Formats: sequence, C-alpha cells, structure tokens
Amino acid sequence: MSATSETELLQNRVPRPMRDLFFLAFLASMFVMGLRRPFLFVLLYAYIDIVSPQRLSYFLLNSIPISAIAFAFAFIGWALIDDKRDSRFSWRQLLMLILLAWCGYTTAGADFPIDAASKWNWVSKALIFAIFLPLTLRTRLRIEALALVMVLCASTIIVGGGIKTILSGGGYGELNLMVEDNSGLYEGSTISTVAIAIIPLIFWLARYGTIFPPDWRVRTYAAALAGACLLIPIGTVTRTGLLCILMLGALMLWHSKRRLSYGAGLAALLLTAVPFLPTSFTDRMGTIRTYQADQSASTRIEVWRWTLDYVKDHPLGGGFDAYRSNSFAYDTVRSEGEKTSQRIVREHVVEKERAYHSAYFEMLGEQGWPGLATWALIHVISLISTRRIRIRYADRTDSGHEWIAPLALALQQGHIIYLLGAIFIGIAYQPFVFMLLALQIGLSTYVARRRKEEGKTPIFASGSTQRGAAA
Amino acid sequence: MIDTFSILLSHALLFVACWRLLSRPALNDERDVRNGAAAESGAPPDA
Repeated sequence: MSATSETELLQNRVPRPMRDLFFLAFLASMFVMGLRRPFLFVLLYAYIDIVSPQRLSYFLLNSIPISAIAFAFAFIGWALIDDKRDSRFSWRQLLMLILLAWCGYTTAGADFPIDAASKWNWVSKALIFAIFLPLTLRTRLRIEALALVMVLCASTIIVGGGIKTILSGGGYGELNLMVEDNSGLYEGSTISTVAIAIIPLIFWLARYGTIFPPDWRVRTYAAALAGACLLIPIGTVTRTGLLCILMLGALMLWHSKRRLSYGAGLAALLLTAVPFLPTSFTDRMGTIRTYQADQSASTRIEVWRWTLDYVKDHPLGGGFDAYRSNSFAYDTVRSEGEKTSQRIVREHVVEKERAYHSAYFEMLGEQGWPGLATWALIHVISLISTRRIRIRYADRTDSGHEWIAPLALALQQGHIIYLLGAIFIGIAYQPFVFMLLALQIGLSTYVARRRKEEGKTPIFASGSTQRGAAA
Repeated sequence: MIDTFSILLSHALLFVACWRLLSRPALNDERDVRNGAAAESGAPPDA
C-alpha cells in the first residue's frame, strides 16, 4: 500500500473500539493455539495477509507489526520443531526465488525508486511466503487447512459484499468492501476474480473436507458462499468478473459427465437471473461490445501498446511502477442520439501515469522479458503439474486417494480463472494467488512423496496400497 | 452491521477450524494415522 493511501485510509477510518478488541482477542487466541501447533502460525500469517485485520481496525493493531511477528513465529516453528524429512524444494519454488532475486535487481535500478521500493516491500514478502509455504504443507490435513483458511478469509469480504449486493445492487467502485482504500483483495476487480476462482475450492471443501466434515450444514453454507461469490462481480460491476463467471461455467461443463443437462440448467439459470440484475450491471456489461466508446477499455489498450514500445528500449523492465512514465492521447468513438438521427462523436482523450490493467503487461513492463518468462513458467508448470495429478488420480476412488483428483481439478480451474482475470487486472503479484500456487506445489510434492512411499511398500501390503503403487 | 456480521461469521468459523486442528495428530504426521496405528476412538478420519 502506498504512503498516500495509508494516510487517506487513516483519515477515512471511523473509531470502532469493539472491533479492535475483537481482532486483538482473535489474534491472541490464534497465537496461543499456535504455541501448541506451530503450523497454525503459518495459517495465522495467511489470515493476516488476506484479511489485513490491521486495516479493518482503528488504532490497536496499527502499532503492532502483527504480520512480521506471525511470519517470524511460523518460520521459527518450522525451523525448530517441524519434521523436515518430508519437505521438498520444487522447481517452481526455485523459479520463485529467481523471480524474487530478479525483482530485487530491477528495484535497485528502477525508473521510480521510491514507488518501486514501496511495492518491493509487499511483493517480496508475498514471494518469500509463497516459497516457504509448500515446505510446511507436508500432510493432507495441512493442505486442506490452508485451503479452508484461504476460503474463510476471503469470505470475510465476500459474505458482506454478497449481502450488500442483494440489498443495494452495488455499483462500480460503490460497493463498500469494508475498507475504503480499494487495494489488495478489497479492490473490486481483484475480489471479483478471486471470488469466482475459489468457487471450485469451496465445493471441494464441502465434499472432501475433514475439518468440517460434509453434512447438510456444511453443504448449505458452501452453496450460500458460492452464491455470494457469484454476486461479487454483480455488486462491484466488473466486466472481468463476468468473464470469469462465464469461464467457470465453461470449465464446469467441460468436466461434467452430464454436459447437456447441466448446460441446459445453466442457460435456464442465466436467463432467469438477467431480469433480476441491477441496471448498473447490465449497462456496464453492454460496454464489452462497444469498447471503442469506453475510456476504461481504450486506456487499457493504449497502456498495453505503450508497454510493448517501452520494452523495446528496456527489455529488462523498468522496475516496479514503471508505468508512471507513460502518457498518451487517443480518440474514443461513440454514437449519440435517436436511432434515426444518430451522430458519431469522437472525443480526444489525453492520459498519463495509467497503471497496466493486466498482470501480463505489468510483469513485462516492470520485470522485462526475463521476469515475464520466469513468472509465466511458474504458471505453466503449475498448470501442467496439477493437470497431471488430476489425470493420474482420476480413477482412484479408494479411501485416502479419493480427494486428490478433485482437489487438483478445483485448483486447476481456479488457476485458469485467475489467468483469465489477470489479462485485465494488474494482479501479477497478488499474495492470495501466490498462496494458490503454493497449494498446488504442496499438492505436487505431497503426491510425489506418497507415490514414493507406496513404491516402497512390500508386495504383500494391503490391496488398496498396491493399487496405489500401480497407478 | 453487515460488515460486523461478515467478520463475526468468518472469524467464528476460522476459530472453530483452528480449534479442531489442535486435536488432529494428522496435522503433523499422517503416516501413523494412515497405517491405522493411531485409530483413536472418536477421532475424525484422517487422510
């Protein structure tokens, strides 16, 4: 978060002593539980990173570096107490390490050193945690616990956002998501993408969860939460969110055994839902087709053009926030008046310091071709690896393996939705997404270890284990 | 009001989840549980 937004945030805050005390009590209880099970410190750090309780409270937590303390405890707990026999360092973690080093290098010679240092501050933390996280994900329960905590943390924003959308209809930049600084997960387009991306994970937790074993209450809550997730793009009126919903529908159909009936059901649901959508939403979605008249879409295209030109001269990138040197002029074209007497209006727009509005161009402009290549490689390897796990375990329905393929599928679908949303939003370094990547790495190393163990199992072992070794 | 409800609900669930994890040996080592050595009475099924 920039220094300016931090100041604005403090000015906008309303004192809520009860809320402060509540967060303090919650954090204190988590710390106490963490002393008994150090892995809970890892979950605590993830919680602080996603929910940012210090931004939701007024005074108490602002003065304590809770994030740093939680990470220190998580790392010390792992280093001193945790069993490291099962920990593996994967290629993807190495690539993240390279990306971290590269970001450090570009920050040192950044076009805008002060802004770059500010962004480096949180990006480096997110990357370090993502590199560290898979080392701790040694058991199935830990993988599940992290997935659950991520979903519940996101639900802090999503449940409120969903209810407000039902009550008010929302509006672009209007739906108040608890904090007013519009950054991190609290930014409309970002939470739209993340909310849709975690829907498959919500359903996986409701079906295969062991912390909250599946029953009618869990299923009801999961369905309600998924509904709230779908309402977020409507409430925040983000076009990216709509595209993500369509992608989710397509992915679910693709992997559904009853494509025809599900497809018909989805189409019926969509047609029934449209009349109930707020006009602010349908109006804005209509602009997807008329992007030439839309300044927001035109800006994106101009910034992307500028970035491609920029990297011709700066192939190694300009460091964080390099977009600040951009400025461009373009014309928007729109039609005005009645159908019979329509006239075309051309407007000249001059803009400068416009953000990338795309994770791909953000990476290219800031970290150059080497940074984009490393980042893309991390994502491509993750997609391939998770897909391989899904295929390998697709037929494994025996106890102890039945959860693997569905989790791989849920993570894969969430990842694809993120990669789609990332075309239109600058979320290349979003900590929540790095955690999703860490979950995939954790699943890969876990599965590899299980296969190795099963390979070592003697020939007279139980039937299910033998089947595992053969798979 | 809505924000408070959202915060309370999610944090209550987070707390219960972490509380339940305290009594799960499989959080740290699931091999014993998988091998059936730790078939504790009343414990939830682990991995």
